[in-house]
Amino acid sequence: MKKYLFICLVFISCQDEIIIEFPIESQTIVVEGGIEPNMPPYVVLSKNQGYFDEININTYNDLFIKDAKVIVWKANEDGTADSILLEMLPPPFDSLPIYTDLNYFSSLNNFPYTNSGTYNPITISGGISNDFSKANETYNLIVRWNDKEITSQTSIPNLTPLDCLWVERNEFSDLDYKFDINAIYDDPADIENNIFIKYRKNTHWDVDTINWSLKDHSDDLMQIIDAGTDILINGEKFQTYFPQRGEGDFPTLPYNSSRYVEYENGNSIDSVFVPHDIVTIKFSQIDEPALKFWRSLIRQFGSNGNPFQEPLNIVSNINGGYGGWTGYGAVYYKIPIIDGFTTSNLLPLDSVEITDLF
Amino acid sequence: MTCKKLFFLLLIQLITFPIIAQNNFTISGFVQDDNSGENLIGVSVYDKETFKGTVTNSYGFYSLTIEEGTYNITFSFIGLESVTKNLVVDKDLRVNISLMSNAILTDEVTITGEKLDKNVSSSNMSQVRMEVTNIKQLPAILGEVDVIKSAQLLPGITANGEGSSGLYVRGGGPDQNLILLDEAVVYNASHLFGFFSVFNADAIKDINIIKGGMPAEYGGRLSSVLDITMKDGNNKEFKADGGIGLLSSRLTLQGPIQKNKSSFIVSGRRTYIDVLAKPLLNRENPETGEKNAFAGSGYYFYDLTTKINYRVSDKDRLYLSGYFGRDVFDFANSDNGFAVQIPWGNATGSLRWNHLFNDKLFVNTSLVFSDYRFEFNIAQSDFEFKIFSGINDWNTKVDFLYQPNQRHTIKFGTNYTYHEFTPGNATGKAGDVTFAPDEIYRQYSNEGAIYFSDDFELSDVLKINAGLRYSSFQHAGDITFLNYLKNDLTLNENNYRHIEPRLSLRYTLNPTSSLKGSYTENYQYVHLASTSAVSLPTDLWVPSSTAIKPKFAKQLAFGYFKNLNDNMYETSIESYYKEMTNLIEYKEGVLPEDNTNSNSDNAFTFGDGDSYGIEVLLKKSQGKTTGWIGYTLSKTTRYFDEVNNGESFPAKYDRRHDLSVTATHKLSKAWTLSGVFVYASGNSITLPTERYVIGGDVYTQFTSRNGYRMDPYHRMDIGATYTPTKKNKKFKSSWNFSIYNIYSRKNPYFIYFAIEGLEENVDNQNIQNGNVEAKAYQVSIFPILPSVTWNFNF
Repeated sequence: MKKYLFICLVFISCQDEIIIEFPIESQTIVVEGGIEPNMPPYVVLSKNQGYFDEININTYNDLFIKDAKVIVWKANEDGTADSILLEMLPPPFDSLPIYTDLNYFSSLNNFPYTNSGTYNPITISGGISNDFSKANETYNLIVRWNDKEITSQTSIPNLTPLDCLWVERNEFSDLDYKFDINAIYDDPADIENNIFIKYRKNTHWDVDTINWSLKDHSDDLMQIIDAGTDILINGEKFQTYFPQRGEGDFPTLPYNSSRYVEYENGNSIDSVFVPHDIVTIKFSQIDEPALKFWRSLIRQFGSNGNPFQEPLNIVSNINGGYGGWTGYGAVYYKIPIIDGFTTSNLLPLDSVEITDLF
Repeated sequence: MTCKKLFFLLLIQLITFPIIAQNNFTISGFVQDDNSGENLIGVSVYDKETFKGTVTNSYGFYSLTIEEGTYNITFSFIGLESVTKNLVVDKDLRVNISLMSNAILTDEVTITGEKLDKNVSSSNMSQVRMEVTNIKQLPAILGEVDVIKSAQLLPGITANGEGSSGLYVRGGGPDQNLILLDEAVVYNASHLFGFFSVFNADAIKDINIIKGGMPAEYGGRLSSVLDITMKDGNNKEFKADGGIGLLSSRLTLQGPIQKNKSSFIVSGRRTYIDVLAKPLLNRENPETGEKNAFAGSGYYFYDLTTKINYRVSDKDRLYLSGYFGRDVFDFANSDNGFAVQIPWGNATGSLRWNHLFNDKLFVNTSLVFSDYRFEFNIAQSDFEFKIFSGINDWNTKVDFLYQPNQRHTIKFGTNYTYHEFTPGNATGKAGDVTFAPDEIYRQYSNEGAIYFSDDFELSDVLKINAGLRYSSFQHAGDITFLNYLKNDLTLNENNYRHIEPRLSLRYTLNPTSSLKGSYTENYQYVHLASTSAVSLPTDLWVPSSTAIKPKFAKQLAFGYFKNLNDNMYETSIESYYKEMTNLIEYKEGVLPEDNTNSNSDNAFTFGDGDSYGIEVLLKKSQGKTTGWIGYTLSKTTRYFDEVNNGESFPAKYDRRHDLSVTATHKLSKAWTLSGVFVYASGNSITLPTERYVIGGDVYTQFTSRNGYRMDPYHRMDIGATYTPTKKNKKFKSSWNFSIYNIYSRKNPYFIYFAIEGLEENVDNQNIQNGNVEAKAYQVSIFPILPSVTWNFNF
């Protein structure tokens, strides 16, 4: 409601830019990290910045922390502890400094991709060498950088796969290539679980109307659909759907199936074939501190400075820092947007890209 | 000896004070408006020689006990012709009086000079009675006459920014005001997200505002009372009043059911933005023939006020009144089948019985119902989701007024309220599957009070109004009412009982000036939990419980009151200090929706607050030109261990300076001009101080709570009312012209921030080129706004 009121007021109002200066009070480590069964833990570290500080390529790159010591450990029942020292992916895969367990990347030196941007599509292949990351276990994070040490803890809940997913024509669109991803979810009645859903368009093409060629508009990173508890749906089996984000923050948009886009080419009509989207759905269970982190992050993303909302900081589960450390009980599905496509098959873990993890 | 014990002793002394009863007789009766038959509230009834007297109560009743003799008793009320009766008082007398319109409405100027100097002589301080006729003369946004916005022009009462109809009284929050409509509590007093109040001025007879020195008959809130009395309805003849404005139209019908015995009034108001916008929204695209995707969207509010009264006998009167108002916001987008409907509003009902036991003892018994509810319905395709919350009260009260002699006005009574809270629930539906909690989460509470007060003239110069209120609150948690009853209402840790002393003193310096002081303690057992910077319908009312302690405030005030030029001018200067404890805020980072369908007690954190200030008022109530100048210098601070790193911070409605100037000038029989000027220090707001990146998106960290003060707020409004002076016409009309914010000051409404350049930030090109930056924008919503309203009556 506050959002609608905000939108209405911005429409009827006038606005002027004003100058405000606030110096940063202290430097804080920001964590974006996760761990899930049979996958390498990962952590991206950065620093906070003054709100009105200059942003350019230098200050942006300088935000990322590349010289920290990052340890993930878990306590065993016998009183011992297992730990992993996370290291940064080596060049040329270090443009985004990802701290992870390099043992998972046995073929790293022969990686077939080139360094093409900030986020490289790195598939985690063949490196699942141990069972460090498991459901129903608690994982601790320690980050040491300069004279700071921050810690966090998260648990990986049990996985709850979807019964099935299918692609179906969007009933509201006049365009015949707009499709929804539907799913049946059977919520376990015996546990109170927290659900976190993300998607990523691995393939998504638009048409460049100048050259009438295809433009790649796939997502670099996973996008959030929603996070919440099962308080209202506990024990229910029901149909749901996984839309993508549109304008603003509310995920309601369908995906694209393949189609021809026609255009005038001199005196004739030509067309461009646009392939269908391919979408990865990450369906996760997360623990309560992680849920609070993600829900507050979604809320802040959606509020976009809305003045009717009391300013709310993101609820971090990092002691002494910002950000979140999340244990995902995650399952993955890869959905080509083809009419009638149905699946209940999980995406094999060795097909998951590292950027699908977060 | 504790302060409360002192109060007890004082009360006992007052009660047992020897009442000189030698040959005393009582004059009593009702005072009404001769035109409409409406009972008049606050009419001065006094002996013309000594100026000793009383005033009529909320039902127009007065009782004056004096020694045997012959008196010229004057009945005086602003705007009506004073009446003086020569009475031989050798027995108890029943004198009912009708006051007629005086010359001020028809001639150029009348200075009565006889009005009792209530401002100076009353023991009450920090109280203002506002006249609806004056409020209607003032310029208003889009011509919508608004009693709460007019109240904001008084010193000590602030608005929370442009257009807000919230009340912030002496550093108190919006939930600390007891807003009563014919004794029914109104929980959300605003329409249109706070821009307009829910009260239709056409149906209002009297507005009494108490911002300090709260008498013992009121309780349950820390800061103020806004006591609004509806009109009873004309019991002489049928009348219709109405108006057509830019935003809404209104119509009031009133008349006798049985002449001089019973009457009714029905008053309705509705906005029509939605009706005007409907053709545009429903219009098809002429080229494609497609319907507008937003067809079905719209917003409107309406309210309906009704009241009937019946004079059962000379000693018994019945009143039945009700209010029903709703705001409805619809948003629809057929492109994706998305639809939102948000209705919210209040409903109240009051059944009251006045009974005169004798000339000295008056009693009013009320049964009151009050309901506020909010819904948020969202639907898309087969999916439906609904959030709802509300509060529902059943209240019964008995209030006695006993005036044994000229020196004492004693009030005592009881008040019981059964609260039913629905703090936040949700249901949903996906296809054929319905999601609903096993039971709607509700909380139940009992709130009770008994009180006693005596407004007592200790000597010719010293008058004391001393009272005690004993309040209790029982919270039954989330069990059902039936179980609650079965539990025998046993006392446990969820029960609170408190004594609230109330004391006001007046010391007369001379006939035109006095010193006053007051000390009050108040407890508040229901709380409004809000995450918004303004009062929104999404805010939740929650009861006190084991975790949520009652709010408590004590307030000390002193004042000097002086009237000048035969009461032509009233002046006062008041200073106050208020301490508040157990104030409630959501814990940092807690999201209200996390507590849907469950107890939200652990979502809150608690702290203290204080406020102090000086208020100056210069008021002119008589003559061609009337109005007032009010100025407040104040500071309001909050202290929460878990907010702002435990450091104190200014309340968001903290104002260092607040100045209001209002003026109404009767230019001629046809034209009345008016103007308003306001100046206030800017709102304190919380700004982002840091940012960081997660997943490629930029997020914000706020640190210092309310650490930034926006630019000062000021504006001037002017208005004119034209009333054609056609005689012998039953149908009368007038035109009201208003210009809001005449110099189009861009007052800051809010500041928002944007990280610009990131949305097109493909491959970080914008960052590399230095095109990404954070910008702050100040938004102003109301520039110069002219409006015209046509009013009529017949």
